[in-house]
Amino acid sequence: MDRLQEIRFVLNGKEASYTGSAADRLLDVLREQFRCTGVKCGCREGECGACAVLIDGLLRNSCCVAMGAVEGTSIVTIEGYRETARFAVLDRAFAQLSAVQCGFCTPGMILAAEALLSAHPHPTEEEIREGLSGNLCRCTGYNAIVNAVKSAAEEGEGLW
Amino acid sequence: MVNTSGGYSAFSLQEALELRASQDVIPYAGGTDLMVGKHRDADYLFLSRVPELRQITEDAGYVRIGAAVTFSEALASPLVPQLMKEAVSGIAAPAIRNAGTFGGNLANGSPKADSVLVEVASDAKLRLVSRSGERTMDVDGFCLGRGRTALRSDELIAEVLMPKQSPDCCFYEKVGGRSALAISRVSFAGIFDTQDGRISNIAAAFGAVADTVLRFRQIEAMLIGRTIEEARALRDSYVAAYAEQLVLTRGRVSAEYRRAVCLNLLNAFLSQCGL
Amino acid sequence: MDTISQSVVKKDHGPKISGRSIYVADYPSEGVLCGRLLHSRLARARVLRVVVPELPEGYYYVDARDVPGDNNVNIVLDDMPVFCRDTVEYIGEAIGMLCGPDEKLVERLRDECRVEYEELEPVTDLRAATEAFFSYSYGHGDVDRAFAEADRVYDEEFETGYQEQAYIEPQGMMAEPEEDGRMYVHGSAQCVYYIHNALTRVLGCGPDGVRVYQDVTGGAFGGKEDFPSILGCQVAVAAHSTGKPVRCVLDRREDMECTSKRHPSICRYRAAVKGNRVTALDIDVVFDAGAYSTLSAVVLQRGIIAAPGVYNIPNVRVRGRALKTNTVPCGAYRGFGAPQTFFAVEMLMEHIARDLGLDALAFREANLVRQGDRTSTNGVYHFPVPLPAMIDEIDRACSYRKKRLEYAAEQSGRWRRGIGISLDYHGAGFTGSGERDIIKAVAKLHKYRDGTVEILASNGEIGQGVRTTFPKIVARELGLPLDRVFFCHPDTARVPDSGPTVASRSLMVVGELLRRAAIRLKAEWVNGEEQEVEEHYREPEFQLPFSLDRFEGDAYPTYAWAVTAIELEVDTWTGNAKVLGAYADFDVGTPIDLNVVTGQMEGGLLQGIGYSSVEKMDHDAAGRIRSNSFSDYLIPTAKDVPNLKCMLHVEEYPEGPYGAKGAGELPLVGVPAAYLAAMEQALGGRGLRHVPFTAEDVIGALAKEEG
Repeated sequence: MDRLQEIRFVLNGKEASYTGSAADRLLDVLREQFRCTGVKCGCREGECGACAVLIDGLLRNSCCVAMGAVEGTSIVTIEGYRETARFAVLDRAFAQLSAVQCGFCTPGMILAAEALLSAHPHPTEEEIREGLSGNLCRCTGYNAIVNAVKSAAEEGEGLW
Repeated sequence: MVNTSGGYSAFSLQEALELRASQDVIPYAGGTDLMVGKHRDADYLFLSRVPELRQITEDAGYVRIGAAVTFSEALASPLVPQLMKEAVSGIAAPAIRNAGTFGGNLANGSPKADSVLVEVASDAKLRLVSRSGERTMDVDGFCLGRGRTALRSDELIAEVLMPKQSPDCCFYEKVGGRSALAISRVSFAGIFDTQDGRISNIAAAFGAVADTVLRFRQIEAMLIGRTIEEARALRDSYVAAYAEQLVLTRGRVSAEYRRAVCLNLLNAFLSQCGL
Repeated sequence: MDTISQSVVKKDHGPKISGRSIYVADYPSEGVLCGRLLHSRLARARVLRVVVPELPEGYYYVDARDVPGDNNVNIVLDDMPVFCRDTVEYIGEAIGMLCGPDEKLVERLRDECRVEYEELEPVTDLRAATEAFFSYSYGHGDVDRAFAEADRVYDEEFETGYQEQAYIEPQGMMAEPEEDGRMYVHGSAQCVYYIHNALTRVLGCGPDGVRVYQDVTGGAFGGKEDFPSILGCQVAVAAHSTGKPVRCVLDRREDMECTSKRHPSICRYRAAVKGNRVTALDIDVVFDAGAYSTLSAVVLQRGIIAAPGVYNIPNVRVRGRALKTNTVPCGAYRGFGAPQTFFAVEMLMEHIARDLGLDALAFREANLVRQGDRTSTNGVYHFPVPLPAMIDEIDRACSYRKKRLEYAAEQSGRWRRGIGISLDYHGAGFTGSGERDIIKAVAKLHKYRDGTVEILASNGEIGQGVRTTFPKIVARELGLPLDRVFFCHPDTARVPDSGPTVASRSLMVVGELLRRAAIRLKAEWVNGEEQEVEEHYREPEFQLPFSLDRFEGDAYPTYAWAVTAIELEVDTWTGNAKVLGAYADFDVGTPIDLNVVTGQMEGGLLQGIGYSSVEKMDHDAAGRIRSNSFSDYLIPTAKDVPNLKCMLHVEEYPEGPYGAKGAGELPLVGVPAAYLAAMEQALGGRGLRHVPFTAEDVIGALAKEEG
């Protein structure tokens, strides 16, 4: 029964620790202390998904996570995910369909796609739309994104 | 430098209860509601690693859902009743369901909480624990409106007790402004059961339309014990009784809209029950 | 289709998808002051005093007294102050800015500022507003006579609400004093030279005293046309006053409440009809400008020019006013002005057809303009009007005519269906002679010794693809691989003023300048030498001069055309509507990149669906906007729509690069009328006259049916 001293976690595969307040937002800490600026802040209320990260493999909005809750977890942001083979598949699919416009929702969208494909390696369009439903995009109308995820699932057969 | 502000982490229920009793802390499970508000000077009590709060178990009478169980975990559990799954699958979006918990949905004290609606309709109970003991109470009655609940300052919600039942008919409808990431504007859950040709249960709960989830047991009593035929004859006066009782507040949408939709859903429920 | 249409990997794809792109909020905060605006809480009041709490070392409060030059932001007129004058005119107006190193402390200090007001009576209701920032009228023919001779006369009023641009990246600007005394301002923006010009006036310096750079911009849609000039001036004043870099990134609620959005409108249409022809329209357009004039002039101009729609109406009288209210100033948003009037005229045509017992589409077709006809402002439709062919294409794609008949039958049960169609255009480029007289665009190509070519232009990538499409044009003319031509975000210290990134003009106007520049560069090309060519805008020779005083002449050189069909299903229990299909055919000329254009069309179409249905924002009687978050102001999610079906019908425009016309605005414009026509059919043909048409409106309409 200790007061939290130092919050330890794994960030993009590396040991990390935080000594600030346990009530601080993961979003702010990732951006400020760890310079993971691919984690975007669109609303700070869990309503847009731009700050989505994976915590122990699950999609989470980092604006709604206090640092005390990440103790002992493994966090993946776009900065870590972009080094993976799965990212390369999504990257190609998004490139081929020009699914990136302003780019602000994209890192969160990519991690939502990863979470979706982990759960459903062969998703239906409905499953894709459900999987991306917490990530707002104002530019694309979602067609290109949904189609890119569908294409990545096919191209990346066996990866997920 | 080691900063020691901002919160405590508990690794067992006993630890959590000690901290809850001895410190001024805000219990933190999923964080999805807490982190939206500003609790700048608050210490959090982090509960996500308390094993006793993370389980879904069952006994003869109940499915017991730990307070720190997330909505996604409930969706993956074979024990959780279908009606509850229907409700939590409609909450916000995956990232929120991966974080939001049953305890948090209750403690937030909102009439819009989709899991609470089903709990009220299902006659679910809560086990509340503290260092000095525990008590069980009906979910209906726990939320007191405007974010207030019956939780005492030394207590934690331990688990939700969902009665095991396999009713003839269940009905759930969430009315939000869009298909995902939607806060309920009206929500409705109905449970209907008969025994030996007579109505044994006809629960109707209305969410997001007043300070708390609404359920009118005195109106339900009109039909309890009746045959289907008798209930059909009473249907109009039954609906009229609701129409009179549903005094609703306005919020993001008008009270008139809420009332009209509540009655539409009630009628749809009755029709689905064959009344 | 031209090979230039073949899609390529967008130049900004890699940095954006990998999270490496640096948006304004992403620069390190070491040594940078965080700025937080102190906003007015009253819609109209005299500010008597601002009591600022005692500020710790390194914390500052700045306001109008710190403005070194003129406390007016240059937009169209100069009535918007950087920080408020004696009075505040809307809730959210900036009174001052708190700055300091720690964001949380800055916010706390800002919240502790106490403003003493003398409250004044605000005007918040558009119907009670009387002060016009802009008032225009124009017409042709003999309207009164046409009404006197009409078989039937119609009189209807249409209303539209606010629409928030809802770019996912909030507004943000940063100002950094440079060692040579120059002020470097950068951030999320569409128009670097607008900001540049506004800054010289506010800082009281010459053009060399400031430098403006567009950071990677997370969506704009018109919302970052005027506001970055305001915010840019605010941070620049703060940086000037403190001598330190200052950054201000708005939070979402602040952004939704205090920054520009689409003008609410009330349009009254009177129509004279003889046989199946509309012989006269008498139109009164009112836009809610908000508290300052900002961009209302250009929004209103476009709105009233489009007011008669795609129809050849022999007698027209149009009056338009942008009225002042004590509410947030409205500005540009995709389509600016045209969505409001196209909605009105298309619904009017729908209603007249129904009253006449005619098929709504056939009635429209009977009144359509054709190539060579006069425009509403007595200009000429110089080029083919492909609407009839596009209507057939849409009909084939979604069986519009068949479904229209099918859904006209009486419907009962929980779900009711409807399908609606609308026709519209987007006048390509700046209104009137704005390109020739005001913008005077200049674009340059710079060739380096190694043979790579840089595009120097002031148009900003905001997601619409110019960082890719501009280089495609230049690379094609020069016969170079695409990776040898590049286009960075504009920096006013390096690029000429090729005009703002607005009005779907960048590709059509500046893209053509670049194409011409590339042709010249190719002719003059010398290996191993650094070379530069510059091109200046020339108005097309066929264009009839436009008079803004009389609204006469070619308001636009050419038009992009759209046919939009929406099919939906209404839930009579809840009032929610589900879009079953959204189909649109667009003529934007040659697509310079098929994916880019399709992405623009799909995105605009969905914004239009939002505008018509769930995107409801209004203010209360006190002038406060309460739907100021993403949980209250709903924009569509991926789950709210099926795959959108967009088609392209290509009529090449000889003055645009390879035949391209303006594209970005078009897809939104026609959606509200198509959506509401579908809704009207689903609800059994009652006359609906406003958007957004929400679930509450549906339940209200059904209650009337029962009542």
